[in-house]
Amino acid sequence: MATGSTTPGDTTANTYIVIPAFNEEASLPEVLSHLKSVVPQLHVVVVDDGSSDGTFEVAREAGVHALRLPFNLGIGGALRAGFRFAAEQGAERAVQFDADGQHDAHQIAALLSALDAGADLVIGSRFQGVGEYEVGRTRSAGMGLLRVLVRLLSGQRFSDTSSGFRAMSQRLLRHFAVEYPLEYMDSTETLITACRLGYDVREVPVEMHPRAAGQPSNRSFRLVYNYARLLVVLVTSARSSTTLPSIPVLPAAEGTGR
Amino acid sequence: MSTGAHLLLIAVTGGTILAILRLVRKQVLRAKYSLLWVTVGFGLLVIAAWPALLDLIADSLGVNYQPALFLMLAVAFLLIIAVHFSFELSRLESRVRTLAEELALLRNHIQSIETSGALSDAPVEEIS
Repeated sequence: MATGSTTPGDTTANTYIVIPAFNEEASLPEVLSHLKSVVPQLHVVVVDDGSSDGTFEVAREAGVHALRLPFNLGIGGALRAGFRFAAEQGAERAVQFDADGQHDAHQIAALLSALDAGADLVIGSRFQGVGEYEVGRTRSAGMGLLRVLVRLLSGQRFSDTSSGFRAMSQRLLRHFAVEYPLEYMDSTETLITACRLGYDVREVPVEMHPRAAGQPSNRSFRLVYNYARLLVVLVTSARSSTTLPSIPVLPAAEGTGR
Repeated sequence: MSTGAHLLLIAVTGGTILAILRLVRKQVLRAKYSLLWVTVGFGLLVIAAWPALLDLIADSLGVNYQPALFLMLAVAFLLIIAVHFSFELSRLESRVRTLAEELALLRNHIQSIETSGALSDAPVEEIS
């Protein structure tokens, strides 16, 4: 397949695509079949975050790994479950991908090649000139504020601090499998944490589609609350995370030959 | 303080203690919390029965207005309790989260065993 050839060199690397999904039965089948045709060599795990619709069944029927959380944990909770699964399966790298059809599977290759070039965390940025992605005014103001904040706290400049389209090395995956924030805006929080802990964080321009189905998961007042919460987290972590935390080795991953 | 108000206070604190003990007997309240609240209840009962004790303590600490001492202690105590509960709640939430993950992983594992046919002879499907 022509699109398959754009996948970066190391196709033997055990790569898992983690897809958190909450009530996404409408858009999920297309996302999964798209992934299957574009990156057939990658493993896919869908984490059903306590959906009330047929998200889990859709994922199972598509023949991908499917985890069902007994109740809704929120995006961060679903992600950690997925990362943990991937780490336990012995994944050597992982990609975080949206279930709502915003992300384009063709761009995964670009993210993975940045990983191959030595990055630990690769952010797919919507705002680096590829394609056009529209956001509302409250959101864009918030994003601008976040950019400044992230720059101050991480010492690095990012054009898209809240992108949920990311790829990570095994090192970071194992960290995230144990320690990942539960609440919304996990992307920004972990971006800064990764920078702080000395991981190599890079940004790659990607094109994104508008949502295929579903609603953006926030409202203005919730956004304000989340900014405030994030601020607290970041300011308090500024003192505590000067040293690398010890990452426990996951028992199930030991048998995978390391 | 009038005798009526005095008796009312004693009755209320006594009733509170009885209510707590009832909760413990019905095993709704864990023993460590019941111990805490029963202790508090008895403390209040002593003060209700013998208000002069509070005056004595206030005097020895150099507090001129005795109710202020009582209120200050009460607020401090409740604040500590509230912080402690937040701490316990956070810990419980993180445990529940880990359990939810574990459950999802185990369910996936079992289903993958079932579909691979290893358990196809066993009557496991009836249970699920």
